[in-house]
Amino acid sequence: MKTKILLDEGEMPRQWYNILPDLPTPLDPPLHPATRKPVTPDDLHAIFPMELIRQEMSPMRHIPIPEEVVEILRLWRPSPLYRAFRLEKALKTPARIYYKYEGVSPPGSHKPNTAVAQAYYNMKEGIERIATETGAGQWGSALAFATCHFDLDCTIYMVRSSYAQKPYRKIMMQVWGAECFPSPSTRTNAGKAILEKHPDTSGSLGIAISEAVEDAATHKNTNYSLGSVLNHVCLHQTVVGQEAKEQLAKEEVYPDVVVGCVGGGSNFAGISFPFAGDKLKGKHKDVDLVAVEPAACPSLTKGVYTYDYGDVAGLTPLLKMYTLGHDFIPPAIHAGGLRYHGASPLVSRLVHDGVMRAVAYHQNEVFEAAQLFARTDGIIIAPETAHALKGTIDEALKCRESGEEKVILFNNSGHGNFDLSAYDAYLQGKLEDYEYPADLIRESLAHLPKGP
Amino acid sequence: MERISDPCIRIGFLVNPIAGMGGRVALKGTDGQFAEAVRRGATPVSTNRATTALRPIRDLPLFFLTCSGEMGENALRESGIKDYRIICQCPSRSSAEDTRRACHDFMNEGVSLILFCGGDGTARDVFSVVEDHIPILGIPSGVKMYSAVFGVNPVACAEIVTHLNEAVLRDSEVVDVDEEAYRRGMLATRIFGFARVPVLPLKTQVGKQIFDEPDEELAKKAIALFFSEILRDDTLYILGAGTTTAEIASNLGIEKTLLGIDVIKGKVLLARDADERTLLSFLSHGEKAKIVVSPLGAQGFIFGRGTQTVSPVVLNQVGVENVIVVATPHKLAETRMLYVDTGDEALDRAFGDSVLVISGYRMGQRKRILHPTTSNQGGPKH
Ligand SMILES: Cc1ncc(COP(=O)(O)O)c(C=O)c1O
Repeated sequence: MKTKILLDEGEMPRQWYNILPDLPTPLDPPLHPATRKPVTPDDLHAIFPMELIRQEMSPMRHIPIPEEVVEILRLWRPSPLYRAFRLEKALKTPARIYYKYEGVSPPGSHKPNTAVAQAYYNMKEGIERIATETGAGQWGSALAFATCHFDLDCTIYMVRSSYAQKPYRKIMMQVWGAECFPSPSTRTNAGKAILEKHPDTSGSLGIAISEAVEDAATHKNTNYSLGSVLNHVCLHQTVVGQEAKEQLAKEEVYPDVVVGCVGGGSNFAGISFPFAGDKLKGKHKDVDLVAVEPAACPSLTKGVYTYDYGDVAGLTPLLKMYTLGHDFIPPAIHAGGLRYHGASPLVSRLVHDGVMRAVAYHQNEVFEAAQLFARTDGIIIAPETAHALKGTIDEALKCRESGEEKVILFNNSGHGNFDLSAYDAYLQGKLEDYEYPADLIRESLAHLPKGP
Repeated sequence: MERISDPCIRIGFLVNPIAGMGGRVALKGTDGQFAEAVRRGATPVSTNRATTALRPIRDLPLFFLTCSGEMGENALRESGIKDYRIICQCPSRSSAEDTRRACHDFMNEGVSLILFCGGDGTARDVFSVVEDHIPILGIPSGVKMYSAVFGVNPVACAEIVTHLNEAVLRDSEVVDVDEEAYRRGMLATRIFGFARVPVLPLKTQVGKQIFDEPDEELAKKAIALFFSEILRDDTLYILGAGTTTAEIASNLGIEKTLLGIDVIKGKVLLARDADERTLLSFLSHGEKAKIVVSPLGAQGFIFGRGTQTVSPVVLNQVGVENVIVVATPHKLAETRMLYVDTGDEALDRAFGDSVLVISGYRMGQRKRILHPTTSNQGGPKH
């Protein structure tokens, strides 16, 4: 019985799996914020390279991964699949728990799986600089890492509070050659407008997105890049699930439950879409796909499935998704990467259709799970990832009750080595269990933009 | 944000020498019980507590005005502080009257802060004179400290005084507990009023400032704004005591009583300072109603047995599920748990283990609830 199930470099997937053609009906298209008509490739071309726009809407089930991208992914891929024997033992569960560890990438999470691809396509189309936002710094450091391999400049708008509190993430970005500004900044109109009204604001992801989008839209040589939510990002992450499927096959098993945390939805999409495809095609109808989100920002469990903006300023296209409202500023939970008001339209659709389901947890129980895992299996995981772990543990405990020997797979999306102050707050009993007051809000969701 | 910003800070300082004596001899306070406490062998503790708070601040550029002997002078001297002036001669067997007299003198001298050492009784005496005109801060030394005017411990008080120019002033409840009833094991709290108390903004924590509004007033406004969004015209709202519920009303254009229970519907004030009968008459037609309350005092009561909280009959009528608890993040950070003691066990249990407290605009925090059947003691613990 192996603890690590490894693939050779030669066994790395050469294609991304695109779930779009496997949906029973087409996905509702993004709408132009001004006209409320479906956006055209031309609308998007101001800030995205053409190839990514094509991937966003592609009808092809498999899309080849360019050799230049594979070469860089090879620095850490294929990532290991682990069997969490010690966790199983601690939980006294008959379930078999496996996890795919994405923390082995240089930036420490799943994010570079898409960052590398995005940087590559931008480079191919002659773009010289990419602008993006980052909350806790995971995405910013991943894009900084990726652009550095293709000689692109990289400008990162980092939520001001994280900029001050997570100096190490900022330094990583700088080491990889990116420039990093606290957001709101005076470099954009969106930033200036906010600073004028709220000079002391600590910023938010929604504001930072507005700044990065504006930067890209107003500079010809500059494109925008998003680290989650969009279809092409989910697409690039499917290397995770494809590898996992292969690795589990070496163990001669197929998962009963697949778990991932959801901020924008990309790492969950990455691990689950290859299995969701099997489910949609009727091959494995019973595989249970579980998205885990924070009770403080529970888009999938408590949001409304409707068209909404992706950012605070309302610059982005309207996306059909589960949303808490684009003006919702999530509270300061330590899983910064899960503080997003919406969720990937693909994941939203699959949850809406019942192909996947979602659960939500409070901060303290999530960190309790993370601490247990650190003590059983050693890795101090990212607070975002800890949500997936908590979901996994609860499934495993259900198996203890029922005696079922389910195979549970979760995406261990990143390490938490730069999140130790969050663990510190947990150890000191200083974490608040923020919770979105869904029942009260349900009565007042008038602030969402109307659909077409 | 209101702060204390006096370059040369003058502090009125007083000690209630008999505060805290009752505890070790199983009295729940020493108001009118001094002789009994001494008879049972109690020794004064408050001067020591005060000295612990003063020692860390003895080298700061502060000037103290104080009372003679046990009521202040001794503690200042023992802690090594020299910059003080005695403005109030007090007899060795001091009384509440001496505390009040000293506070009058502090007021006349225009001090920036009154630092006192005692318990709820002392807080009440101080507040009865200075009300919200001068900020007050209590060094905890009483048996009962339900009022939200005390530092967590004497050292925390020193910390606040050290950083007085960074501290913000917060309206904090001075709570009056019926000592007679308390001695019989029954808790009956009543809010006496709202004092201005300096509190330090939450210590910088990763993530914290991203959302938590450090400014109490803005935090209350955020709660009030959220409330205005979820307000329904067909529902009766019973608003409990406190400054947060007052802000909710004020945001709707209604002036609410600070200490009383008011009733509103459709942004109209229906009753001020309503008593149980009035509330029940409003509810008698089976109207949809919600109760909005804020945790009170340092122990976070949402429902106690006091005269100014909603009665079990009213609560049963409205239903526990229609209770909305509101509190600012700062208050919640200091109040690790909430406390319910309605006098009706089944009702207490209906609140369950936790409650969602609205703490901002479209934001809440889940807080544990204690009630007499979950805690092993009859009362809340510190
Ligand atoms: C380690 C880690 N896991 C998960 C997430 C959540 O993002 P997504 O839902 O796009 O995977 C993040 C985002 O920052 C992250 O850093």
